[in-house]
Amino acid sequence: MPEVRIKTLPPPHGGKLVERVVRDPQMARKLMEKCSAVYDIKPTLFKGNPVRNVYREIMSVCYGFFSPVEGSMTKADLESVLEKRRLTSGWVFPYPILFDVSEEDFKKLGVGAGDWLLLRLKGEPFAILEIEEVYEIVPGDVAVRTFGTPEKNPEVVKVPFDQKHTGYNIYCSLNPIILAGKYTIINEPKLRPPFDRFWYPPKRSREEFEKRGWTTVIAHQTRNVPHTGHEALMKNAAYIGDVKPSDGIVVNAIVGAKRIGDFPDEAIVEGHEMVHLAGYIKPERHLVTFTLWDMRYGNPIESLIHAVIRQNMGISFHMFGRDHAALGEYYDIFATQILWSKGIPSFGFEEPPYMVDGGFYIRPQNIEEFWFCPKCKEFAYSANCNHKGIYSRYSGSFIRGLINEGVMPPPEIYRPEVYKVVVKWWQKFGYPFNNEKYLKEREERLEVDLPHMELPAHLKK
Amino acid sequence: MAKYLGVIIDEKRMATIKGTPLEEKVESIFGGALRRLVIEVPDDLGQKVIDQFTKARFDARGYIEETPAAFKRAIFKRIAEMKELSPAVVEKVLKEDLEKVKEEAAKEDKELPVPDIDISDVLELQKNPVQKPA
Ligand SMILES: [Zn+2]
Repeated sequence: MPEVRIKTLPPPHGGKLVERVVRDPQMARKLMEKCSAVYDIKPTLFKGNPVRNVYREIMSVCYGFFSPVEGSMTKADLESVLEKRRLTSGWVFPYPILFDVSEEDFKKLGVGAGDWLLLRLKGEPFAILEIEEVYEIVPGDVAVRTFGTPEKNPEVVKVPFDQKHTGYNIYCSLNPIILAGKYTIINEPKLRPPFDRFWYPPKRSREEFEKRGWTTVIAHQTRNVPHTGHEALMKNAAYIGDVKPSDGIVVNAIVGAKRIGDFPDEAIVEGHEMVHLAGYIKPERHLVTFTLWDMRYGNPIESLIHAVIRQNMGISFHMFGRDHAALGEYYDIFATQILWSKGIPSFGFEEPPYMVDGGFYIRPQNIEEFWFCPKCKEFAYSANCNHKGIYSRYSGSFIRGLINEGVMPPPEIYRPEVYKVVVKWWQKFGYPFNNEKYLKEREERLEVDLPHMELPAHLKK
Repeated sequence: MAKYLGVIIDEKRMATIKGTPLEEKVESIFGGALRRLVIEVPDDLGQKVIDQFTKARFDARGYIEETPAAFKRAIFKRIAEMKELSPAVVEKVLKEDLEKVKEEAAKEDKELPVPDIDISDVLELQKNPVQKPA
């Protein structure tokens, strides 16, 4: 008889969790001694606005969210990822992870393969890059190949990517020189509140699951303050499990550079937390977490990085809705569900990502839509409720409109406690959504502070 | 396909149109939790509205969304005045109120008045979070 119960957490992607964080200051000093230059991390700008900060990738690599990736990719790995969404080791990985510098900075640094570079963040030592290879890219090419084209990927790409797509702009705005090699954090940053209590890197999340006795866990991807439709989705999707529904529901917010009009990340994580603080899901069954990543809005491609992150965290199932991590209409609205139900051959998936070599243990829960139906008297699943003309669909832009006009959304749309979290951050930032001022300030503030650490004498100028 | 412009009707707006023919045009959504008036407009007029505001767009159901609150206020004012839900209302706003709407909208992008509601209950709940910093 086949065993139907799931007794253990899935293994990390690639077999072993990466953890590249040095916590011993003496060791950190020793490592810094080997560095031959210092580089101050700066944001990637598109038309003068920050769209990415490589520090977030360094954090996600070193704390194991992106296992088995250990640093900035070599040319061979980059090619392999762009060509078939696999690392040269054969493990599925969707996006280029690169440390890019301008030609001017490269000349100033005077480093090459074999050198170690000390990376500084907010004026303090942060991490080391062990340079293994230096090569050039054509950023526009990397951008096009990252997201695909209607010609090459006719299954799901509908129109060519352009400058209205934030993720595309991120890759187009990279500097042309890539320093490839492993990252090591040598000065552990302190997460700023409110993010500090939601920081569950894979090692810690797995410990937490074990402490709670969870073996079946489902992930909810979010970039939103949860409305009742999201809540219904989370609760109902969590009925998947083994002989009983999932033990745990893990919300993993993607925190990073954002777009104007989105909710501030502070409101997003605290909004999700309020779902358990106000008792709509028992806190014993619910964990709110986040990953630092400047969202690329790559729909099916983004779903793969979500699978990497969440399997590494120890999660067994993943909800995928329509328009997953999408922006605009570049991809088919069902692109992610197509990938996770039958595969997308042109992206290297003849079969779904849990069937291919080097693929995932995490299983998809491809799910349709929830809406509010006064006749069903519930947040009804679209495959059940047949009350056309009676039900009301959720629309993010409609809800933003309500908030904009100062109308308190009814409890059918927002739990009052969750809405009040939005108001709390509205009071703080003077605005309920990300506006230019917020985006500018947050990219200076970032999500972390760094303790002071002396530079070794040879690196002081 | 026609496009739609929805205007939320709160208590105050409801009082303004009480007793007029508009009152029975009010439709309820989310099981009566919200009420609104809807103007149906031809495609080109819908597009003309979208073109006025950078964030504005049609949503999946053909509704014009993400217009400034100032625009919605102006639309409601003209609805109440003209007592009808025709495209003429939208045309009138575009013709006569646009400059003022855009002025107010520019301010809206920077600041929106915080709703006057008591949030002490959630601050209390947050005082003792279940999840603690690492
Ligand atoms: Zn129904």
